[in-house]
Amino acid sequence: MAITTFSSAEQYNFDIVKKFAIMALVWALVGMFVGVYIASELAWPLLNLDIPYITFGRLRPVHTGAVIFGFGGSALFATSYYVVQRTCQTRLISDGMASFTFWGWQTVIVLAAVSYMMGYSQGREYAEMEWPIDILIEVVWVTYLILFVGTIMRRKQPHIYVANWFYLAFILATALLHTFNNLAVPVNLFSMKSYSLFAGTQDAMTQWWYGHNAVGFFLTAGFLGMMYYFVPKQAGRPIYSYRLSIVHFWALGFMYMWVGAHHLHWTALPDWTSTLAATFSILLLMPSWGGMINGIMTLSGAWHKLRTDPVMRFLIVALSFYGMSTFEGPMMSLKEVNALSHYTDWTIGHVHSGALGWVAMISFGSLYHMIPKLWDTKLYSTKLVEIHFWLATIGVLLYIIAMWISGITQGLMWRAFDDFGNLQYSFVESVAAMIPFYIMRAIGGAFFLSGVVVMAYNIFMTIREAKREEAALEAKLAVKMAGLGA
Amino acid sequence: MSEQNLQSQTVQTTGHAWDGDLEEFNNPLPTWWVYTFYVTIVFAIVYWFIYPSWPFGKGFLTGFSNITYVNKAGETVSSHWNTRALLMEDLNKADEMQKPYFSKVAASDFNQIAKDPELSGFVLSAGKALFTDNCAPCHQQGGQGKLGFFPNLTDDDWLYGGTFDKIHQTITGGRRGYMPAFGEVLNADQIDALANYVASLSGIAHDANKAVTGKALFTSETAACYYCHTESAKGRQDIGAPNLTDKIWLWANVPGADKAEDKVAAIRNTIATGVNKGVMPAWGERLSSDQIKVLTVYVHQLGGGK
Repeated sequence: MAITTFSSAEQYNFDIVKKFAIMALVWALVGMFVGVYIASELAWPLLNLDIPYITFGRLRPVHTGAVIFGFGGSALFATSYYVVQRTCQTRLISDGMASFTFWGWQTVIVLAAVSYMMGYSQGREYAEMEWPIDILIEVVWVTYLILFVGTIMRRKQPHIYVANWFYLAFILATALLHTFNNLAVPVNLFSMKSYSLFAGTQDAMTQWWYGHNAVGFFLTAGFLGMMYYFVPKQAGRPIYSYRLSIVHFWALGFMYMWVGAHHLHWTALPDWTSTLAATFSILLLMPSWGGMINGIMTLSGAWHKLRTDPVMRFLIVALSFYGMSTFEGPMMSLKEVNALSHYTDWTIGHVHSGALGWVAMISFGSLYHMIPKLWDTKLYSTKLVEIHFWLATIGVLLYIIAMWISGITQGLMWRAFDDFGNLQYSFVESVAAMIPFYIMRAIGGAFFLSGVVVMAYNIFMTIREAKREEAALEAKLAVKMAGLGA
Repeated sequence: MSEQNLQSQTVQTTGHAWDGDLEEFNNPLPTWWVYTFYVTIVFAIVYWFIYPSWPFGKGFLTGFSNITYVNKAGETVSSHWNTRALLMEDLNKADEMQKPYFSKVAASDFNQIAKDPELSGFVLSAGKALFTDNCAPCHQQGGQGKLGFFPNLTDDDWLYGGTFDKIHQTITGGRRGYMPAFGEVLNADQIDALANYVASLSGIAHDANKAVTGKALFTSETAACYYCHTESAKGRQDIGAPNLTDKIWLWANVPGADKAEDKVAAIRNTIATGVNKGVMPAWGERLSSDQIKVLTVYVHQLGGGK
């Protein structure tokens, strides 16, 4: 049985890519299920069942952690390992390190989720993990950085492909953000509880410097890396403009670092800081759109693929949502708009148009492209991809429309004065007004989740068929060998 | 679009290729993209001149936008745009709108306020805002209270009296409802007998023999219930002792129990453990006298003012 055919499977470490790709799907199912559940808790609070572990406050970080770091993170690990190897024409420098990043990262997600349900939290949005988990993240992330940079340094290509710049920016910035936002002093060595090194407004400022750059570098730069490989590959066309990719890469990296304070408009933050954050958010609009233009224009000359190829449609619709939410974001960061939108569901809607519309859709498209290549086969069903596409699109639209209406309604109700100079509505009246939209949001989420279920089935069948084909081929070879031997 | 197409085909790629067929065109930056970027720069600069922006030295560029407002001390202040001034400006505007009504409230008595159509409209508006901010956390948004904790303000049953003056006194000075825990002085049979008697007053199914014993205890010096609740068990509003004959419950969760024996058990529990959580804070130190006046009329009209 010593017969092996030389293939990309030996040239590259695809085993690690496969593992991360499958976990991306698993975490998508888990994280989005929790999302739909907590959305339903808001619509029907009795779903708390009076169990502290599954109340909204504890499950909410479980949801965000599982979708951002579990699903998004695993998708980024998978695609970055895939892209860096293929575009550098070299194998990852260490299989052991790659394997460590896999098991380390999965452990982080599980520990984080369990600790949130037990009630441990740093109280920092998207960085709720307490200090022991933070240290594990740090170790995994530095390993990732060394592995990625090492692989690039060993490339057999003279030039570094643009996707790798974006992946590297994402890895570097995340290391920086994670380190500084989690500087904290544990109560003692055996306590999960810690206190931040910063206090008051500075603490809030550090948290949102982290929070918005998690959006900028984790959820944007990383996924732009994905876009720069999978869009031209799926379209079979060169990237539209090399020049644009350079300019928007540096502009994006420079601008993002300034804008975090727009999460703290109308708070104790000094007014001048919030002004700067607002203007850099506006300046960020065109650099963001550079990525969208470069992706969408890559398809020029091959527009017909949008009709025939649902995978292409995922990628391009993702870019459209990216364009929409990077327009909406700067608008919301203006002081006067923010006075209406701050603390309302509008923000939740905005985040999800980015998270579901851009991050999840570009990941679905990339995974649909990559998974058949990894297992050297074809997708089990293109029809199911088509169904997934529509379920996802309807889901996102229901979600963001519900949150626009409820958010603007909240904003208007909270600031409404009557003719006597008194607040017209009490807070609880605004809560009651939200109920129909909370139901609509839960339905939108259920649509999106059911799309992922369809995808998981499709991918499961694809891999099963691939394994059957491989087994059949090997059986054939064995028969042949036996014939030769005799 | 077709023009773009043509362009893409004539434009050269950078000459690099990765992973087989991955190439890059070298199209120039889209003109509209570049100019829109310039527009955002101009926008940002203008914004920096309107609002406080770049820090330098110990200060910062204050911007050309100004806000004039009256501060707490009553002085007119003009300042560069800032969040605090904007808040003061908004609050002053609301105060201005409320002022004529509040001065009318100050000059009128409760009955006049309740009968004046314009003022009662103001009471509904300002009273609701005050009630929501201060009272609703306990008495709930509609004043319906919470069984076992906070009295219902929408019925016509009053612990301390439902006239304007009594309500005003309650809000201003606060209240402290208290009943000793009789579990410390009476045995289980005695408490059971008392509970059956109290149940009988509200027409709840009970043990008639025990109720007879209970009635004797109620008016005896052993239990001495009648001191506060009076011999007729109708209570005393001057000390906040509730009427036990009106089928309205606050401390014992009688309405929440389905079976008669559970209702009696709830009463037993209250007798044994007493009441020591009936505290309402005094609002006289926190709200202005006009605000309390408005709240008094508001609570009075919630349903059961006398």
